Amino acid sequence: MSILMDCETIIEAVLFASGDPVPLEKLAEIIEKDKKTTRGILANMQYKFEHSARGIMLRELDGLWQLCTKPELDIYIAKLGALRKKPGLTQAAYETLAIIAYNQPVTRAYIEQVRGVNSDSVIMTLMERNLIREAGRDDAPGRPKLYETTDEFLRVFGFSSLRELPPLEMNEIPEAVETLPTD
Amino acid sequence: MKSALTDACTLKLNNFEGPFDLLFFLIEKNKIDIYDIPIFEITEQYMEYLAAMQELDLEIASEFLVMAATLLHIKSCMLLPKHDEKDAEELDPREELILKLVTYKKYKEFSEILKDREAAWSKVHYKLPEIIPVIQQEEELEVSPVILRQCMMEVLNRSRERMSNDSRKMQRILDQERVSLRAKVREILGILAKGIKFCFSKVFSPLTRSRIEVATGFLALLEVVKMGRASVDQPVAFGDIYVTPEKPKKKRENRETEKESDLA
Repeated sequence: MSILMDCETIIEAVLFASGDPVPLEKLAEIIEKDKKTTRGILANMQYKFEHSARGIMLRELDGLWQLCTKPELDIYIAKLGALRKKPGLTQAAYETLAIIAYNQPVTRAYIEQVRGVNSDSVIMTLMERNLIREAGRDDAPGRPKLYETTDEFLRVFGFSSLRELPPLEMNEIPEAVETLPTD
Repeated sequence: MKSALTDACTLKLNNFEGPFDLLFFLIEKNKIDIYDIPIFEITEQYMEYLAAMQELDLEIASEFLVMAATLLHIKSCMLLPKHDEKDAEELDPREELILKLVTYKKYKEFSEILKDREAAWSKVHYKLPEIIPVIQQEEELEVSPVILRQCMMEVLNRSRERMSNDSRKMQRILDQERVSLRAKVREILGILAKGIKFCFSKVFSPLTRSRIEVATGFLALLEVVKMGRASVDQPVAFGDIYVTPEKPKKKRENRETEKESDLA
């Protein structure tokens, strides 16, 4: 038990000092445990942070771990002074992100096909915001660039991994169209 | 269905991301079933919007015009009388548009979820990373001016050789070389068979061989070493590689090395 406590103490200190998300492998290396054990310790810590009178919590981002404040405390943190708020994204940007998130890696042509509009500048904005990145090139003619979402995307939208995206039910479409009443 | 949309549209015109967005607005406004779009009314309203945009002197993106054309095309398809049963069985001309609209709708809905999630998670704050100084030991590089000069001369010589002969340069561009690893292995084994110790950079000199030949030659050398037919020595990093022939090993040992190479 005391060994476990030690590991938690070390991880907490490391994550605090790091600030940036730390990969599970790195944490395992630091506490000299295997990945499975480390994951268990982290899950335990996450639970304890969540369910005790603490101001911070533990987040997972696709195998990376990071400490952050609990969202409900935002109002108190705001009293510290001016919080720098990033300007919100445009509707076009959210739409484009949604398409990339579910179809990654995906070409610009596909995005434009779904949205019905040119998406050059939106993709540029999302790249600048580090929400998407280039992911090689497609084998299709012209070898178009492919895009995928980043860890920053997971962080900003509160997903711990892409598996957490709600399922997008597309299979209903063809049936619905087939049963169209004819005019 | 009301057509008093013009007032509303003047307010919202700029907010449409694209033709799908505008179509959606119309569908929702009129409370239409997306799978059964009354194409005549929708087309009419859509055109009204475009007209309003023109009145306001807004630049209409070409995508909006493409959609207008599509709508008109569908409309005309549906107006045409169906000649025979074969025609009647044909797919609804709206199908493609509906498919696109439904797909777009899914993503649009998810984009709303994203917006909400972003708002919720923007209340979470992070700490900037601590700057943790890491002591790094710097390696001292011991190079005498003589060696430096020698290296420089070699580089100059090499580039002079390469640049001097224009026809050879052209030749190199024109030649589509096919260098096979097997051929190079054979070449090296041929030299080794004479029992001579040789220097790799002399045989596969960049002066006489193309880059791909040198690279393949090197890979072939590795193969030969793996076969146990030669041993290599490189006294100085990035320096010359000396190749010494080795007697082929006994069968048993050979099998062992084979096993190892299999594992690797």
